[in-house]
Amino acid sequence: MNHHNQQSSDGRHDDDAALTEFLASLMDYTPTIPDELVEHYLAKSGFQCPDVRLIRLVAVATQKFIAEVASDSLQQCKARQAAVVKDKRDKQQKDKRLILTMEDLSKALREYGVNVKHQEYFADNPSTGVDPAARDE
Amino acid sequence: MSDGGGESGSKHEKTHSKRKFGGDDFAQAIAKIAVAQICEKVGFQTFQQSALGTLSDIAVRYIHSVGNAATFYANLAGRTEGNAFDIFQALEELGSAQGFTGASDVDHCLASSGIVRELIQYASEATEIPFAYPIPRFPVVKDRNPKPSFWQIGEEPPSEHIPVWLPTFPDPQTCLQVPTQDESATDAHTEMIELGKQQRKMEMSMLNLQQRFSGNGPEGPSSVAHGDNSKEKQAAESNPFLSAPLQFEEKEVSTVVLPAKLSKEVAFKNPVVEKRVVSNHISVIDTFAPAIEAMKNRICESKEEQKTALSDQRPPVQFKIGIGKKSFSKPLKFGSQNKDVGKIAPWFCKDNEKDEKKRRAEEILKDSMENPEELAQL
Repeated sequence: MNHHNQQSSDGRHDDDAALTEFLASLMDYTPTIPDELVEHYLAKSGFQCPDVRLIRLVAVATQKFIAEVASDSLQQCKARQAAVVKDKRDKQQKDKRLILTMEDLSKALREYGVNVKHQEYFADNPSTGVDPAARDE
Repeated sequence: MSDGGGESGSKHEKTHSKRKFGGDDFAQAIAKIAVAQICEKVGFQTFQQSALGTLSDIAVRYIHSVGNAATFYANLAGRTEGNAFDIFQALEELGSAQGFTGASDVDHCLASSGIVRELIQYASEATEIPFAYPIPRFPVVKDRNPKPSFWQIGEEPPSEHIPVWLPTFPDPQTCLQVPTQDESATDAHTEMIELGKQQRKMEMSMLNLQQRFSGNGPEGPSSVAHGDNSKEKQAAESNPFLSAPLQFEEKEVSTVVLPAKLSKEVAFKNPVVEKRVVSNHISVIDTFAPAIEAMKNRICESKEEQKTALSDQRPPVQFKIGIGKKSFSKPLKFGSQNKDVGKIAPWFCKDNEKDEKKRRAEEILKDSMENPEELAQL
């Protein structure tokens, strides 16, 4: 902070330049979340802006948020698998795949202030084919 | 974790989001695909459907919240259109739960905010994965072409009270023509009409007959003897509840008034068969109308005297009870016609049965009262 304060004028100038550059670069950037979707929901929330860069800015922010949540739940998933594998390495060998489950997701989302309770007995299977034997945990 | 509460909570959230973003399944599906792509990039191989649905819901909510907050900040600054700084401020607000570098500095410049730097860093580092499918612009707003107004066509409205800027009336043919119904529906309709017609004819003839009876009915039972069936005669003689006057009052309501109305409605509803029905009906009504009117008048006139005549001529209410063992049958006078007894006796058969049952039930109850051990065994 101290460093920042000392070179505040320079830093601010750099930040402004970086921001301008970033916003300009958004013109060529294609976020994974499509513009149309973001535009639709922004329009629903009452935000109106003709600038496509701002739409993409929101798209990038959302993508970042989702990616963070996803990577957190990935860590949860890996940690859970590591804990399980200790006892029954052979049995769980098949289940080594990384699956986004409600359990991990709800744990990850709790850190972001989203309180998701997954249904305890909700029988949901992974969308892509997994062996029936490997499915039951 | 929780058992019941969790379920209800998530359900509540779902219904809430559904209410808020209800009806755009297309957008939801797109959000799901995009979120799945992000998850794949992060390193997941598969996912549970429910988890993906939840995460895409959250993504949508995130966009919505950013939009709401950005709109709020834009409006706070006196603008209707948002700009980049509104969005940054909104992102800071949403990210304040996790915290970001420089959040403690209240007066920090938005351009040098930690959120912005993280965002720039993310955008530069993350590999660019475009959305998998081309998307048309949505939601599709169907543009209607409204009907031209009177003014646009250059026509005068049919009457003065209609302003010229109103759309023109549809062609008169469209008003006349009737939307064609289903074959089966019309068939059923015509069938019903036919049935109704037949019934009406029968009723008309009956009515005619009865009115002729009633015309000279009160004068004596001899006129009733003209009737075709002996039942009516018998009824008129013996039991006033079954006699003719009551019956044709009933008829008067059901036949004359109601069918006319009904048939009119039918005619309005279904002008395909309209003419036939109407002509038919009118012919029936017309042919019988004078007679009916005459009958009605006579009925009205004769009603009062008829009543007195009834009380004079006919014996008071006579219940004919076949079985004498019943207590309530004793005070009643037995009818003089013994032949009726056999006829009316079946009415009371049920009562007999009932009594029998009652008696048996009482017996059983008594038995059980006397020796309750048996009941306990049962």
